[in-house]
Amino acid sequence: MSQVGTAAGWEPTIVAFCCNWCSYAGADLAGISRLAYPASLRIIRVPCSGRVNPHFVLRAFQRGADGVLVAGCHPGDCHYTTGNYFTRRRYLLMQRLLEYAGVNPGRFEVKWISGSEGPKFAQAAREITARVRALGPNREMRDEA
Amino acid sequence: MRRIGVFVCWCGANIGGKVNVPAVVEAARTFPNVVYAEDNKYTCSEPGQAAIRSKVTELKLDRVVVASCSPRMHELTFQKTVETVGVNPFLFEMANIREHCSWCTPDKAAATEKAIALVRTAVAKAVMNDPLQPFPIPVTPRALVIGGGIAGIQAALDVADTGIETVLVERDPSIGGVMAQLDKTFPTLDCSACILTPKMVDLARHPKVRLMSYAEVEEVKGFIGNFQVKVRRKARYVDLKNCKGCGDCAAVCPVKVPSEYEAGLGPRTAIYRPFPQAVPGAFTIDKAERPPCVRTCPAGVNAQGYVALVSQGKFKEALAVEKRQNPFPSICGRVCNHPCETECNRGQVDVPVSICAIKRFIADTVYADGSEEPVLPASAKDERVAVVGSGPAGLACAHSLALEGYPVTVFEALPKPGGMLRYGIPEYRLPKAVLDREIDQVRQLGVEIQTNAALGKDFSLTDLKARGYAAVFIATGAHKGQSMGVPGEDATGCVDGITFLRDVGLGKPMDLDGRVVVVGGGNTAVDAARSALRLGARDVIILYRRTRAEMPANSWEVDEAVHEGVKLHLLAAPVAVTVRNGRVAGLKCIRMELGEPDASGRRRPVPIAGSEFDLPAEYVVTAVSQSPDTGFADGVLELRRGGIIAANPVTLQTSVPGVFAGGDAVKGPATVVEAIADGNRAANAIGLYLRAEAPEASAAALADQPQTGKPFTIPKDVAKVPRAVMPTLELSRRRRNFTEVELGLDAEAAMAEAARCLNCGICCECRECERACEPKCIDHSMQDETETIEVGSIIVATGFKPMDPVAYGEYGYRRYPDVITSLEFERMCGASGPTSGQILRPSTGKPPHTVLFIQCVGSRDEGKRGHQYCSKTCCMYTAKHAELVMDRVPGATTYVCYMDVRTPGKGYEEFYRRTSEEYGARYIRGRVAKVQPNGDGLRVRVEDTLAGRPLDVQVDLVVLATAMEPQADSMDLARVLKVGYDADGFFTEAHPKLRPVETNTGGIFLAGTCQGPKDIPETVAQASAAAVKAVALLSKDKLLASPIVSYVNETLCAGDFFCQPICPYGAIEEKELAERIAGRPVTRKVASVNTGLCQGCGACTVACRSGAINLKGYTNEQLLAEVDAVCLK
Repeated sequence: MSQVGTAAGWEPTIVAFCCNWCSYAGADLAGISRLAYPASLRIIRVPCSGRVNPHFVLRAFQRGADGVLVAGCHPGDCHYTTGNYFTRRRYLLMQRLLEYAGVNPGRFEVKWISGSEGPKFAQAAREITARVRALGPNREMRDEA
Repeated sequence: MRRIGVFVCWCGANIGGKVNVPAVVEAARTFPNVVYAEDNKYTCSEPGQAAIRSKVTELKLDRVVVASCSPRMHELTFQKTVETVGVNPFLFEMANIREHCSWCTPDKAAATEKAIALVRTAVAKAVMNDPLQPFPIPVTPRALVIGGGIAGIQAALDVADTGIETVLVERDPSIGGVMAQLDKTFPTLDCSACILTPKMVDLARHPKVRLMSYAEVEEVKGFIGNFQVKVRRKARYVDLKNCKGCGDCAAVCPVKVPSEYEAGLGPRTAIYRPFPQAVPGAFTIDKAERPPCVRTCPAGVNAQGYVALVSQGKFKEALAVEKRQNPFPSICGRVCNHPCETECNRGQVDVPVSICAIKRFIADTVYADGSEEPVLPASAKDERVAVVGSGPAGLACAHSLALEGYPVTVFEALPKPGGMLRYGIPEYRLPKAVLDREIDQVRQLGVEIQTNAALGKDFSLTDLKARGYAAVFIATGAHKGQSMGVPGEDATGCVDGITFLRDVGLGKPMDLDGRVVVVGGGNTAVDAARSALRLGARDVIILYRRTRAEMPANSWEVDEAVHEGVKLHLLAAPVAVTVRNGRVAGLKCIRMELGEPDASGRRRPVPIAGSEFDLPAEYVVTAVSQSPDTGFADGVLELRRGGIIAANPVTLQTSVPGVFAGGDAVKGPATVVEAIADGNRAANAIGLYLRAEAPEASAAALADQPQTGKPFTIPKDVAKVPRAVMPTLELSRRRRNFTEVELGLDAEAAMAEAARCLNCGICCECRECERACEPKCIDHSMQDETETIEVGSIIVATGFKPMDPVAYGEYGYRRYPDVITSLEFERMCGASGPTSGQILRPSTGKPPHTVLFIQCVGSRDEGKRGHQYCSKTCCMYTAKHAELVMDRVPGATTYVCYMDVRTPGKGYEEFYRRTSEEYGARYIRGRVAKVQPNGDGLRVRVEDTLAGRPLDVQVDLVVLATAMEPQADSMDLARVLKVGYDADGFFTEAHPKLRPVETNTGGIFLAGTCQGPKDIPETVAQASAAAVKAVALLSKDKLLASPIVSYVNETLCAGDFFCQPICPYGAIEEKELAERIAGRPVTRKVASVNTGLCQGCGACTVACRSGAINLKGYTNEQLLAEVDAVCLK
């Protein structure tokens, strides 16, 4: 497929894993509220942010994603009581693993976005896109085509 | 190869206006496994759904992808559509190209590109989808309601009325909750009890309701339709079935504690019924953990029991309580070292209760008036028991055995019985007449005492056996004085303390003329010194090597000794006795200083080199230590270091079966009460031995019972009262005689002193209630019981508690008696309440002329002290309270300080209008800054924010409308139930608007104020709603559970169970797998998912290192396929 072009030429690809109960609903609300954010962010629905295996994140980087966002319910509000606590702990480890592997940890982020926080979702999407755009295309981990 | 159909929706212009839909369809046709793609104007409409159905049939599609709105909108719609044409709903997949694409992407090209990527991703997942089947789970047709306030009562009645069995668990002794405490209810001013109590009775009589009062839910296992609930039924100590509720027990109970029902305004007894209309109507005994006095007493004497009875003037009964564990109260009341007083909780308020003096008072008083009720021994038994030694240990043992009916003979080496009580403790502390009286009481039980009969000299252990004694208790004490180990100790005029005191006790004529130096710092030394003074010594010095703080003697004895003129010579030790012509001429001493702490924790005295000095003296008494004289053991009895007898610490049995030993002979020098404790213990052990019960069982029966019961907290508002002072003999009358120094308390002082007791155990176990109860339904030995009940659904209705406003120091609650809470005011209004419905100022007991109500105490306060939320009921009940004041106190003025008046409810605004306009309550908008005492009343400073000026209002009574708070332990229950709670601790509903009575845990529903503040009508409505939800669930035979659950690939599972602790539902179980490896049978453990418990979060899948556990519907393979597809460029 050809690269999607804008005036700037390159636009990053960002994979967002959103939990079904809070963040996916937050993204829905952003849409319902017609809040614009970069099209480069694409959502994969998971039941809980705790379902996101670090393997999935690494796979996204291998397949050429320039940034990865994991979004879940606020700590204490997890639909499954404790899932996002595991996400929170994995996030710190994940940052260090990426750094160790030579990937800029700025490409990876975890956010707590509730179903009522449409603006926060749109804002998070804008922020990570801007940051990843500044970092440039992911060349650290992507598989050679 | 799959056969996938893709249907792209225009959603009118919602998608079509931004996304080039035909281009998306075109792209979809190129994706692998896609055999068909088309676009529709509105896919969710009937023509759109019909198109899907016809293409599935026509093209034999096995999977369907719809690209349209959010799956949260229409996933279920399309799943049903494909199911009608034979496609499993879980083979359907959705691409969200509206909310996540067209609506948030202004650029058309970018939106189209994104839509294509999202469809590609959905197709990639669909390829990996497997058909899934929801599975049926059975339902237990029984409901549990937790909490018996109005919410719980209503919910239980509604469920039970449908014919479904209902269990209601209430943790208090009665159901009724806070509503039972209310006087009137707004806005109709209905009497709360009149509308509530009939419901309580209905509940108790309902054939489908099982009421478990005074019980708590401890553990919940299982899942929707199938819960196993462990309920702890707290010991009530009263037989629920037979109690007639007559109240004879409460009439005799000596313990008064604040009544919870009366909000602390009135007292209740330890055996109580919260209120007369309680359901069940049976009484309950309130027991806290064993009080410190009882816990600390070596003999476990029930000090709280006899102190409580003395406070009521029940001296005879108090003596009976004392004598349960201690046959010598009159002796111990004089000489006990009373560790109970050291631990007494009253010491944290002011000074400990003078327990020992009360003990002595009881015994002396009851003996004097002869009103003691004799305790009759049990029927006579055949086995004879010999007790060697007639000190406190021996006599206590003889006493207990005699009460059990055993014939006992006591052998005493000295001419009279009593041991150290007679020959160690001087008469000015323990008069011989007092001693003889209690020894005679032992004799009167049939105990024979043979004096001048020493073991090892006049008879042996073998002789005792030959004479037919079935068991022996050796309690020969520690009568051997230790020497100092310095030269010159054998000189005339030098004697050890034990011998000295024995000679005094034997009445040997002694005339001490000159100076007496007593060496040592224990009780023997002090007794010797004070005796020497009474025997005519000119001058008595106690020489002790450490400081006064380290002296092991009772501090009050040292005080008396100094008071009588004994001089303390501290930090000095003897080096040699100076001898002149065979007689003592003095002591050569050395000064000491304190060094490092030794094994006993006291600092070790170290001699200062070159500091020797001479202390002239005519007599030296060495009271440094004493040890048992166990020469009689003679290789038969095993001994330990220092000559003490080796005995099992629990059974007191020695190395010879049937021979028991206790007291100082086993412990080394100790106290009277420890000796009595050993005597009692030995009697129990001997009884068990003679009845030939298994020794292990005996050990268990004899071991200390574990500490149980709720902890006691010292009330905050206990007034300080000085401790009774023991009257003593004038100093001038103590010389040259052994008249008793302490004179004892009189009845008035003893009762006042007893009233200082805080009743830390709540029930004092005096057992007066047992005697008063005619149906005999009181059992103080009752234990908590747990029971597991099976239910299909749970309704949580645990209610709220009113906030304690003490954090709002500016309002002066607890500092000023005329500042009360709204619940206290409510009780004051109750016709059966502490003031019989009269509104009175607590300080004067007179009606208030002006009453000021402060609203929002703890509500709508974002500071640390309060809560952000509105408690919702306070505006209305305050209006009600203001009306009640003006109705009941003619001419009274009321002020209400408020932030906003909120009256949303039927008839509420009208009620408030009436209060302010017709009744004339004065509403002041503003928060109160300070409440201060002023003259006879209180001055309240408040800013009137409408007038924009500060006001000072002089009032007689201030009522605080305190916030509603979750129960203190609501979060613990939330964890047990696995339901959510909010930042304040209220349980959270599944959806604030659309699922207000459900929780996120299937099968558990909420009712009433445990979910958030609400008034009675709302609570009742929610309770009925929860009941309907529960009934809807319980009336099904089976439930269909979501198939999105974890599953284990047993071949890959390594059995390390990392998944287990991560699972919030405890759904992962261990399973034994039997296999054959290389022909040999092998078993190994693998994980297994309980699909009834699993909620499908997938946290376990990440924990698994071998990738053996996976989540159906969101497998690793499905998600990785999505990742691959979404990244494709």
